[in-house]
Amino acid sequence: MPPAAASNLGYTPPDGGWGWAVVFGAFISIGFSYAFPKSLTIYFKEIQEYFDVSYSEIAWVSSVMLASMYAGGPVSSILVNRYGSRPVVMVGGVMVCTAMVLASFGTTIIHLYLCIGVIGGFGLAFNLQPALTIIGTYFHVKRPMANGLAMTGSPVVLSTLAPLNQFLFDSFGWRGSFLILGSIVLNCCVAGSLMRPVNKNASPEPKAEASECNGAAVEETAGTPSANLLTEENQSGSKSPGCMDKFIDFSLFKHRGFLIYLVGNVVMFFGFFAPVVFLAPYAKHLGIDEYSAAFLLSIFALVDMFIRPATGLIGNTKLIRPRIQYFFSFAVSYNGLCHLLCPLADGYVGLVVYAVFLGLAFGMVSALLFEVLMDLVGAHRFSSAVGLVTIIECGPVLLGPPLSGALVDIFGDYKYLYYACGVFMLVPGIFFFIMHYFNYKRLDEEQRQAEAVDMRTSYHSCEEAVELKTGRDDKTVPETEG
Amino acid sequence: MERELCLSVCVIQLWMESATRKLQGDTRAASLLQLKGEGGGLVVLLHDAASRETRKRSSERPAHRGDRGIIIMSAIRKQLSFQILLLFISCRNINTKTLGATAPPLDPTAPLQKLERSYVLKGDSHTEKVELLNPVSLVLMCTWTGSQNKPTNITGFWSKDGKEIENSRVTVQLENKQYNLKRTFSIASEADLGSYSCDFGGEAKINFVLAVPQMGDERDKPIVSYLGDSVVVPCKLDDSKPTPNTWNWYRANETGKEQIIAGQKFSIKNDEKKTKLVIHDLTADDSGLYYCGAVYGVGITMGRVELKVISFFEPLKPFIAILVEVIILVAAILLYEKSRSKKDYTAAGNGATDQTNTLSSGENNGPEESSSMRQRKV
Repeated sequence: MPPAAASNLGYTPPDGGWGWAVVFGAFISIGFSYAFPKSLTIYFKEIQEYFDVSYSEIAWVSSVMLASMYAGGPVSSILVNRYGSRPVVMVGGVMVCTAMVLASFGTTIIHLYLCIGVIGGFGLAFNLQPALTIIGTYFHVKRPMANGLAMTGSPVVLSTLAPLNQFLFDSFGWRGSFLILGSIVLNCCVAGSLMRPVNKNASPEPKAEASECNGAAVEETAGTPSANLLTEENQSGSKSPGCMDKFIDFSLFKHRGFLIYLVGNVVMFFGFFAPVVFLAPYAKHLGIDEYSAAFLLSIFALVDMFIRPATGLIGNTKLIRPRIQYFFSFAVSYNGLCHLLCPLADGYVGLVVYAVFLGLAFGMVSALLFEVLMDLVGAHRFSSAVGLVTIIECGPVLLGPPLSGALVDIFGDYKYLYYACGVFMLVPGIFFFIMHYFNYKRLDEEQRQAEAVDMRTSYHSCEEAVELKTGRDDKTVPETEG
Repeated sequence: MERELCLSVCVIQLWMESATRKLQGDTRAASLLQLKGEGGGLVVLLHDAASRETRKRSSERPAHRGDRGIIIMSAIRKQLSFQILLLFISCRNINTKTLGATAPPLDPTAPLQKLERSYVLKGDSHTEKVELLNPVSLVLMCTWTGSQNKPTNITGFWSKDGKEIENSRVTVQLENKQYNLKRTFSIASEADLGSYSCDFGGEAKINFVLAVPQMGDERDKPIVSYLGDSVVVPCKLDDSKPTPNTWNWYRANETGKEQIIAGQKFSIKNDEKKTKLVIHDLTADDSGLYYCGAVYGVGITMGRVELKVISFFEPLKPFIAILVEVIILVAAILLYEKSRSKKDYTAAGNGATDQTNTLSSGENNGPEESSSMRQRKV
């Protein structure tokens, strides 16, 4: 297995400075990606009547958009590997804008599926992946914090878009609103323009996997502290030996950490979103009125908003950072426990308590979701990794809520839904704990071996600077990347 | 109402006649009673009465009296005919109330459904809502437990919409420590709806508000649509309310409401508790208030929807404003970057020593990027 990825980066990430502007840009991009499909549901009732279709047909617009967003992951990864984050995000912003403008002139429901669903979904995919990737290039020591802050974009943008959409709808009807929303989404281009590619002028490392393709000068000059100010982020590290994997890194499927993450996540996503989707209907089922049920969701969003940066902060501490995978496993298991205990909550107060804990759990997992992937595969391969992960996660994310809905319909009681979701989250949580325990052990072993090898090779080459650098990097951040 | 009263009296009279007929053992006379004209509805009534008589009689031991019966029969028949004639004359003079063009005409052949509503009052006033769909004969019963001092007799009266009903003043006796007032009202049309109150000597009052089922929560914000587009204006009744007979749509103009007829411009789709008005080819004149009316037997309940038609330039203005803002921001950020990188370029371009200096300073100060520069170590 390849050695620790810190040495793979080939430069020292700034961990600050312009990085915070990049985090703000990522905040906006990620916020729009996650919140935009959810906020469009306000218009559905009117559109449903206008086109004279059933509710399920209209709900497909949201589903197609979400599916496109996840399916567009690999495409996005390829483009980011090739061109860097900035152009892709700007193109994505323009795509969503065009989609909304075209949709506002729509004459049939198919028109909406194609415009909002397909084009809009792809545009959002082009926003999500690059935003996540660029954080990895700018931050290393403070990366959990940066990730937590960037992921806070989702609840914040959702809380802003929801009342804004209502206002637009009352003033302009659905057609005008779509037009104006198109221009609002164009702000993603502003976010993209902030995503300046990081300059990599640090001395390079002798890399185990040297790439022959797409010559980035770093790996060729073995050891010379070159003054390369490169524009692209697609470093050699993102490509494994072989030109075939120039576009996307399929060798990730041999990566132990990546496989653990993938398997656990696929199971987890079946039960991740359903409890949130069914919170309000469950409350109404228990006899709570509509406004109080909606208020539960607001409580949930508020707690979520604050817990994400807090989780990032905790993840950054010296205690947690080296073993951040355990933190993630804990978050997932905690989610599962919450859902299993939910049926015990009775009455409105019980549900409020549950909403608070749900917000805590949901926020924790969301903030760490991509941080742990970065931690496992390293910033270079992250772009391909996230593309592969999203397209595979597409299935559970889309199937989860309808399956849970079917459970509710069959049994007529919501508690089975919560039991099922609880199990779907607790099992991966425990799986993560066990697997990562073994993974960490192996990684520590490999680290020791790699250090020994490096020590030996340093005697043979005249790269004293490299040796120093290796020694320095290895000691600064004891992290685990495989 | 007088008409109904008249008819009821007719019915009672005829019942009495047919009852006496039964005693005389003759059913045919009952069936011979026929009224023509406006009282024609009574034919069925009487036939009903007759058939009921026949049914009852078949279980009884027929007892024909023979000749004596025939003589008595003819005498009674004459009396009956005379009575019927009198009633016919008096009934015919009563004007049927002109029902609104929108409510269906009262079906004279069907008997009024009986409905009872009562309330026991303990305080000094109360309002009770009564939801009515079809014309009914409504019996309202008021019971009052009385105040501190309970006089044996108090005067009670009925009023409608604040105005006292004539001849409704009665003296109410105290029975079982309660005062009772009871009155039958015939509710046939929209004008009969309203607020009926029974008043106990001015001290206690129970209001019964009679109304058709009301429309649910109304949308207070206007529906917005665009010139040349089509729009669907919906109206919905709460699921708990009963299904109306039909739906009508009205447009508000200077002189009140004017009914909308389906055609090329308007189409109406009714679906039990929901209705939709589709307006095609919108023009600016189509803006305004629209009313949907759920038609019940006894009245119409109205819902109100406002429509606003705007041109496509309205949302275009904010769109262009935000577009300009985005372009300005993006240009500003990119220009800032260019200017900073130019500074670095000119600074770093002055010799190799500078290169290494910028290198080390670059590492410490964070990223200073150049979008199009490459420097290779010599």
